[in-house]
Amino acid sequence: MRIRDLLAETFSAIRANRARSLLTILGIVIGISAVIAMTALIDGVKYAMVAQLGLNQSRLVMINAYPNGEPLQRSDLRQLEKGMTDYEFLTGTAGTSSSVSTGQVKLDGIYTNGVEDKYFVAMGSKFAEGRGFSEDEVDESALVAVVSQGLANKLWGQDADSVVGKSLSVGNDRYSVVGVLEDANGYTTGNETLYVPLSTFQTRIYNWGLDQVYGYAREGADLDTLGERTKSYLVSYYHLTGEDADGYVYIQTMKSMIDQLDSTMGAFQLLMTAVAGISLVVGGIGIMNMMLTNVTERIREIGLRKALGARRSDITRQFLLESVALCLVGGVFGILFGYLGAWALATLGSGLITSGMGMQITPVVTPSTVLLASGICIGIGLVFGYGPARRASRLDPVEALRYQ
Amino acid sequence: MATPVIETQNVYRIYEGAAGYTPALRGISLTVPRGEFLAIMGPSGSGKSTLMNILGCLDRPTTGTYRLQGIDVSDLSDDDLAHVRSTQLGFVFQSFNLLPRASVMRNVILPLLYSPVDPRERELRAIKALRAVDLPEEYWDHGSNELSGGQVQRVAIARALVADPPLLLADEPTGNLDTATGEMVMRTFLRLKARDKTVVLITHDAEVAAWADRTVHIRDGRLLTAEEERAFVERTARGARAAAGASDKDAASAVVPAGPTTPAPIAGPREASAL
Ligand SMILES: Nc1ncnc2c1ncn2[C@@H]1O[C@H](COP(=O)(O)OP(=O)(O)OP(=O)(O)O)[C@@H](O)[C@H]1O
Ligand SMILES: [Mg+2]
Repeated sequence: MRIRDLLAETFSAIRANRARSLLTILGIVIGISAVIAMTALIDGVKYAMVAQLGLNQSRLVMINAYPNGEPLQRSDLRQLEKGMTDYEFLTGTAGTSSSVSTGQVKLDGIYTNGVEDKYFVAMGSKFAEGRGFSEDEVDESALVAVVSQGLANKLWGQDADSVVGKSLSVGNDRYSVVGVLEDANGYTTGNETLYVPLSTFQTRIYNWGLDQVYGYAREGADLDTLGERTKSYLVSYYHLTGEDADGYVYIQTMKSMIDQLDSTMGAFQLLMTAVAGISLVVGGIGIMNMMLTNVTERIREIGLRKALGARRSDITRQFLLESVALCLVGGVFGILFGYLGAWALATLGSGLITSGMGMQITPVVTPSTVLLASGICIGIGLVFGYGPARRASRLDPVEALRYQ
Repeated sequence: MATPVIETQNVYRIYEGAAGYTPALRGISLTVPRGEFLAIMGPSGSGKSTLMNILGCLDRPTTGTYRLQGIDVSDLSDDDLAHVRSTQLGFVFQSFNLLPRASVMRNVILPLLYSPVDPRERELRAIKALRAVDLPEEYWDHGSNELSGGQVQRVAIARALVADPPLLLADEPTGNLDTATGEMVMRTFLRLKARDKTVVLITHDAEVAAWADRTVHIRDGRLLTAEEERAFVERTARGARAAAGASDKDAASAVVPAGPTTPAPIAGPREASAL
């Protein structure tokens, strides 16, 4: 029997039992919804993180080191770079909040970050306009600034044509703006951030060491081992011992952050997996039940088809395809409802899941998720449809034709 | 002589049921050459449908052999039998067995789904078959549950013709038809015969059987011998005379409807037009 004929038979059989088919696939719908909602949310959170952190950050090792309670200085970084050759560079930042003003607008509590030129490379920053700092500007404590798009909007309004070249004041100093960063950049900073060269920051705004050091790993380096080695290097470099080591040096990588996220989501994932698993099994049994009813109802039809020349495999295929098609219909609804459910959950719980990260989660349904769901549906259709289909194919044509 | 289309030797079919063993066929030996139009007559329960199931490769003899086109079908696997059914055989079942939710057209096309016939040819063949049984075109899109008994019967016959099989088996194909339509079906069978097809027809009706080249009688799972048949013919003829005389007491004892079973000259035209 040809595939097209089989599909036509399947379609008309399902259409003939529309109401019953819809009720039967409910379990599959719920199961697939759970699978989709779960993966869409988790993928959404991961995407949001990657988007927020930038691709380059997957090569970042975040180093918080206060050997003996003292912060690192720029000069320390250059020493450390010589010792740890797995990093392309190390770059540090220092920050505080300050008041920023133009002639017209004055904003308080703006997070102000002193950074080196390579900071923007490490963060994979994208500039809406202008550029980052040059090495010279950092070395010479130039009075230049980079603002985030959010800050630019607050200072000069949404529809300011160009911000580069305008000036702003912090304290008694006037800075000229050289670049505007696209939003969603850097996880330590909110939407309104001011960047100035690190040296300028330390001499004019707040004289303190480095809050945070970023190591930018060489291409292909394994971040986990690099993190470990960085820690032990720092421990021996600063002669730290025992408990001091843990207290003074804290290393984090992108991967460890995602691991952390995974464990946060673990409970949610477990719950959804359980819901999905149970409803898929129940749904599968429902499908099997319906297929058995179908076979019994259509015994004469099966006998007739066999009498007219259908082989066992033709009958098996016909009924298997029917149960697979039922499950796939359930899957389609499941994907739809799952996606909607993920939106609802994301809206309700986005504060909860991402508290402190300030991210907006958009549920993401990837092709691989759809493929997974379809695979599950086909699997259930085959597993639970096999028994009924086999029963149908083994019916004796004479007895089947006599069946009342 | 060429290989006969049907050749059975001493075929038994014993059913195992709640009431014990029922021997529905008890030593049937029957040979049907290619191009013959054979009628099988017998009272209800005599084993006609059982025989047809075996001739149609739907069922296997309990003992005895059955050769279809010279091939011993008891050696064939289920799938091979399915192939034989789809390529060699056309069935008209006693209970017709149309798919109730499918249209007339789909019902007629059904056997072609399992045959090697090119899908583009299906509709054309179905139209030819439906024309051959004279079902008006307006019914072709109707659901088969919207038809009269006679129309259902004609669709069932069209379905048996559609794959153009060399052997047609028909179990009471004219039971629900009026005389004119019944005759039309018989003429269709004659046309098949003229194209060297073999037709086996099961019937209660001697007038219908009279269209065939030859009639065999089955009683309690056995074919009547020539001698038994002669006796039977005489008995029936006497019964008919008695019935015509006055009392219907004797007529009631006649097992089959009165009427000559000797092959009557066929009244219908025998022109060999294509299906
Ligand atoms: N599946 C079965 N199981 C048990 N007994 C059966 C079965 N099928 C038929 N029989 C018996 O075999 C005998 C012959 O049945 P069959 O159907 O061949 O008769 P028939 O000649 O076709 O009768 P009718 O003219 O009424 O259709 C009957 O006695 C019937 O009860
Ligand atoms: Mg019968």
